[in-house]
Amino acid sequence: MIYQKFYVVLLHCEFLYLITAFNMAYPISTWRFKLFCVPPNITDDYFLLSAGISKNTSNLSGDYEAVAETKFNSSDTYISNLPKVTFHCCFESEQDVNCSVHADNIEEKTAVSTENSFIFQQLGANWNIQCWMKGDMELFICYVEPLFKNPFKNYDLKVHLLYVLSDVIDLPLTPQKDSFQTVQCNCSVQEYCDCHVPVTTVKLNYTLLMYLKITSGGVIFQSPLMSVQPINAVKPHPPSGLHMEITDHGNLRISWCSPTLAPFPLQYQVKYSENSTVRREVDEVVSDTSLLVDTVLPGSSYEVQVRAKKLDGPGIWSDWSTPHVFTTPDVIYFPPKILTSVGSNVSFHCIYKNENKTVSSEKIVWWMNLAEKIPQRQCNVISDHVSRVTLSNLKATKPRGKFTYDAVYCCNEHECHHRYAELYVIDVNINISCETDGYLTKMTCRWSANTIQSLVGSSLQLRYHRSSLYCSDRPSVQTISEPKDCHLQKDGFYECIFQPIFLLSGYTMWIRINHTLGSLDSPPTCVLPDSVVKPLPPSSVKAEITVNIGLLKISWEKPVFPENNLQFQIRYGLNGKEIQWKVHEVYDAKSKSASVPVPDLCAVYAAQVRCKRLDGLGYWSNWSNPAYTVVMDVKVPVRGPEFWRLINGDITKKEKNITLLWKPLKKNDSLCSVSRYVVKHCTTHNGTWSEDVGNGTKFTFLWTEQAHTVSVVAINSIGASFANSNLTFSWPMSKVNIVQSLSAYPLNSSCVILSWMLSPSDYHLMYLIVEWKNLNEDDEIKWLRIPSNVKKYYIHDHFIPIEKYQFSLYPIFMEGMGKPMIINGFTQDNNEKQQNDAGLYVIVPIIISSCVLLLGTLLISHQRMKKLFWEDVPNPKNCSWAQGLNFQKPETFEHLFTKHSGSVTFVPLLLEPESISEDISVDTSWKNKDEMVPATMVSLLLTTPDLEKGSICLSDQCNSANFSEAECTEVTCEDQSQRQPSVKYATLVSSNSKSSETDDDELGLIHSSVSKCFSSKNSPLRESFSNSSWEVETQALFLLSDQHPDMISPHLSFSGLDELLELEGNFPAENHSEKSVYYLGITSIKKRESDVFLTNESGVLCPFPAHCLLTDIRVLQDSCSHFVENHFSLETSGKKTFVSYMPQFQTCSTQSHKLMENKMCDLTV
Amino acid sequence: MKMRWGPLCQFLWLWSYLSYTQAVPIQKVQDDTKTLIKTIITRINDISHTQFVSSKQKVTGLDFIPGLHPGLSLSQMDQTLAIYQQILTSLPSQNVVQISNDLENLQDLLHLLATFRSCPPSQTNEVETLESLNGVLEASLYSTEVVALSRLQESLQDMLKQLDLNPGC
Repeated sequence: MIYQKFYVVLLHCEFLYLITAFNMAYPISTWRFKLFCVPPNITDDYFLLSAGISKNTSNLSGDYEAVAETKFNSSDTYISNLPKVTFHCCFESEQDVNCSVHADNIEEKTAVSTENSFIFQQLGANWNIQCWMKGDMELFICYVEPLFKNPFKNYDLKVHLLYVLSDVIDLPLTPQKDSFQTVQCNCSVQEYCDCHVPVTTVKLNYTLLMYLKITSGGVIFQSPLMSVQPINAVKPHPPSGLHMEITDHGNLRISWCSPTLAPFPLQYQVKYSENSTVRREVDEVVSDTSLLVDTVLPGSSYEVQVRAKKLDGPGIWSDWSTPHVFTTPDVIYFPPKILTSVGSNVSFHCIYKNENKTVSSEKIVWWMNLAEKIPQRQCNVISDHVSRVTLSNLKATKPRGKFTYDAVYCCNEHECHHRYAELYVIDVNINISCETDGYLTKMTCRWSANTIQSLVGSSLQLRYHRSSLYCSDRPSVQTISEPKDCHLQKDGFYECIFQPIFLLSGYTMWIRINHTLGSLDSPPTCVLPDSVVKPLPPSSVKAEITVNIGLLKISWEKPVFPENNLQFQIRYGLNGKEIQWKVHEVYDAKSKSASVPVPDLCAVYAAQVRCKRLDGLGYWSNWSNPAYTVVMDVKVPVRGPEFWRLINGDITKKEKNITLLWKPLKKNDSLCSVSRYVVKHCTTHNGTWSEDVGNGTKFTFLWTEQAHTVSVVAINSIGASFANSNLTFSWPMSKVNIVQSLSAYPLNSSCVILSWMLSPSDYHLMYLIVEWKNLNEDDEIKWLRIPSNVKKYYIHDHFIPIEKYQFSLYPIFMEGMGKPMIINGFTQDNNEKQQNDAGLYVIVPIIISSCVLLLGTLLISHQRMKKLFWEDVPNPKNCSWAQGLNFQKPETFEHLFTKHSGSVTFVPLLLEPESISEDISVDTSWKNKDEMVPATMVSLLLTTPDLEKGSICLSDQCNSANFSEAECTEVTCEDQSQRQPSVKYATLVSSNSKSSETDDDELGLIHSSVSKCFSSKNSPLRESFSNSSWEVETQALFLLSDQHPDMISPHLSFSGLDELLELEGNFPAENHSEKSVYYLGITSIKKRESDVFLTNESGVLCPFPAHCLLTDIRVLQDSCSHFVENHFSLETSGKKTFVSYMPQFQTCSTQSHKLMENKMCDLTV
Repeated sequence: MKMRWGPLCQFLWLWSYLSYTQAVPIQKVQDDTKTLIKTIITRINDISHTQFVSSKQKVTGLDFIPGLHPGLSLSQMDQTLAIYQQILTSLPSQNVVQISNDLENLQDLLHLLATFRSCPPSQTNEVETLESLNGVLEASLYSTEVVALSRLQESLQDMLKQLDLNPGC
């Protein structure tokens, strides 16, 4: 009975098999299921049970009813003799159990060995199977893992997956055996296998029919047919890029990136745990890639994992992502950073946790940059722990070093956490300026980003919105906008070009600043291309000076675009390196030229034109290319040239050659050139006639008649000059004299003032002619025409002050030329006098002071001399030279009277070895060199501090015939510096030539100078000497000051020399026998009492009868003449020998000179 | 139902124009219209190959290009301009791109003028597509461009005169 039932069921199953074998396959709706195969004796019951379940399941699904069986392959060779064993395999998932019918027609029977068969019959065979489409959408994977362990350990496990991928979703028939492809699954040591079926992305919607063939322990198991669409079994990759942050509103945002290559929307499952004071776990499914978590607390840590699955339809959850942990800080700012624009209002929120305890919002205060407390009125309490601060009307953040933000601190009363919020306030007022080109096809907009350079990491973009027509009154940022590419220029500006353009469409533009913190928009501006046109400059610009009118005319052509009315601006100026422009406006849109007056009609002018819309919109065009005027004759010459005459020949004759001279007309007068000159004559007898002169400026004619009037006419291409000056040559008028005086005052070398006085006359004075010339040179006569009402005139010329000039003033009457006044000016004397006058104020005080000093010195020296001589020199009465007596202290005299080794030139002294006084030196000098001169030197001691200047006075021998037997002292003087008459003294020294030779080189120079000086000028002196006797006494003293007040230098001026010469010339007449010669020492101003007497002040001892002539001038005049009047008697004959002479020391009388009071006159006669 | 939406659409169209260009006086619109017409005429003059086209020679086969029709109303002007713009847009020449933009502006100005004069909105959108244009363009591009620009210039000059005569709707 049981068998009958079994067979009935079996037949039923066979029937079902026959039905389902064609179109029934196990649809994989879940990705994990189980394949179990049991022996027939076990299967029967189980099969029945399973079949019943299957029916139920099939009923539920309504799709299929499956019966599966596994049969031993009797055809297997080595087990062909084994009895046939059938294994029934079924799928079991979490939801149902399906035992599908195996397709016997496509697979051979499974063969198993007896031994193994026995084992399977005892235990059965179960496998876990997982199938899914891999996330990369390229591989379908089935994972097979046996549930039975150890029994097959010793046997090889081989799994094959046979599949068919078809684009037909509902397969009407089971594919044939040949259509199945086989892949061998990779089985690992751990006894699981991976089966990979390549599925391209385009075939994700195909139907995959497959079954498994498992060979284990010699037994082959074959699964029922499975069908699946790969897209329904996709197992995505787990999400990546897990990130957590606190939002601007204080929430915790968990965000992640969706797995790539997912061709369908996904859903996500988020698993996070909060580990703060209380641990909390939450599991949420969302379709977005982020999740907001409320009530985030400071100082907490969050661990999050996410996985993904196909949002709609069947799918397989991906693996969980790697856990991500986020710890919230103790102070939470939300938002932590704000980027905003100037003038806006922003708010920060804060939650402060201090020492595991959240601070009450009541205690929270806010600080800015840790430097400024934000007023409490700007702070609000949002909740128990959330505080808010609102900052309004923000100003741009000033970068402080590298910090380009303001730090906003949330503090617990007096304690601030180191964390802060960052506030970036950017000035987004970016000015966008646009310009449309002259062709109205391109609009270029420029803007500068200097104001937002402090925001690092930002990018700028110009966006615009074009309206159909015109701009709105209040441009606003439009939601629909387009970006415009702009390029940074060298000048730091961005430049964007719109081409082509809509002339009358409003372009609303703004700059969008993109930054990680957000984006900001600058205030929008609307530009109408038509209103920002910069036209092309006017073309065909020409400039000319209009003939006969004399205006600068500029013409142009307006540019093609725009068609609006234009205004024009002209600038013009004299052409040159730096043109001084003048501007002329033209508001007539239709005008094409303009004329402007210019001062100089004969100059080259440059002119440029530019234009702009007359309604003021847009920009000025560039200036056009400059146009230049051409200099040409504009009008007839303004006047004829001014001319003057030269009268050649004898004035007394009635016929004279008159040469007319004139200066070429300047451009301003000729307008602008003179082609020729014409001289017009007018006489009583011959009438009028003209003579063409051409371009010359001279013309000579013969003046024969009583009156002859001439005028010179200038002619250019336009015509002849109208206003021409006349000049009448008239004999009667030449005697009319109205010039009373005329004087010339030189102002400087280039200007002379000429003034004159005119007497009234009955004739009509037209003008005056000033004529001047240099008398010393053959310069041409220069002349000037002066209006008649002028009384003085500044003559500008190159004058030489030392030259003489002749100035003439001619009155020119209507009737003819009057009598001139002629003067000479600029004499040398006048000039010199002026210079002397100027120097007089300086020299006179110096001379006076020097005199005072000299007199003081003389007094001192006089006292010393007296003391010296009276003490050291024995009484002269007892010490006669003639008697050959020796002095008591002859060595003392050696200081005064140097004994020269050389012999006397002319006549040897009688007491030659004991000559006492041969040279007399009067010398004062502060030169150190002079101070070193021994006092015994009695030869010429003439110290000239500046010999090179030639200002010297010295004595030398005179070998003229008149003095043939006597050595004479000649006085000479050279003064090459008249400007500084610094001769300090004159000295007359009688000197033996030998003594002169003992002097140093300096003295030699003096000798040379003497010879030079006397070569031409000593003759009068010699004459005077020749006419005078040796009894003539001459006093000479020259005292002049030097430039240095503390020094007296020996100089002798010309004046002094002249005076000297005059004085000597007068010798015979005045003091032929009475004049005394005084030898005066000149002491220095400095007090040097300690010095040796004869070195500082020269005692003057002169063997006067022998060979000396001394002169003293000016200061001591004939003061001591009476001292010497009887002390010597000179023989005028040169043949006489020297009279031995001993100096006599006598005091001057009180009558001699006041200055010589109480002083001795140190003279040796 | 369709009858109700029509006036509403007209009202919205008028309102959008008036709200946006409320501050623009009619005189300025008229001046801008004339100036723009002159500008387009000058642009056509500046295109070198249109300067020497003989006006005596008649070109056949280009009947779709509007000819000179004196006394056009605003709507007719608009229609004419729409056709020209369609033609110019089809021309590949760079010379006419700016002219095409100008024509668009000119059409907008004519619409605005019509609005000021309370004219009903023109049916510009209903201009039939010139089916024969593409075929002609392939065969005779030069002729099409020259003739189109020449006729456009004449039409614009006529419009310029007509605008002074206060044309009707």
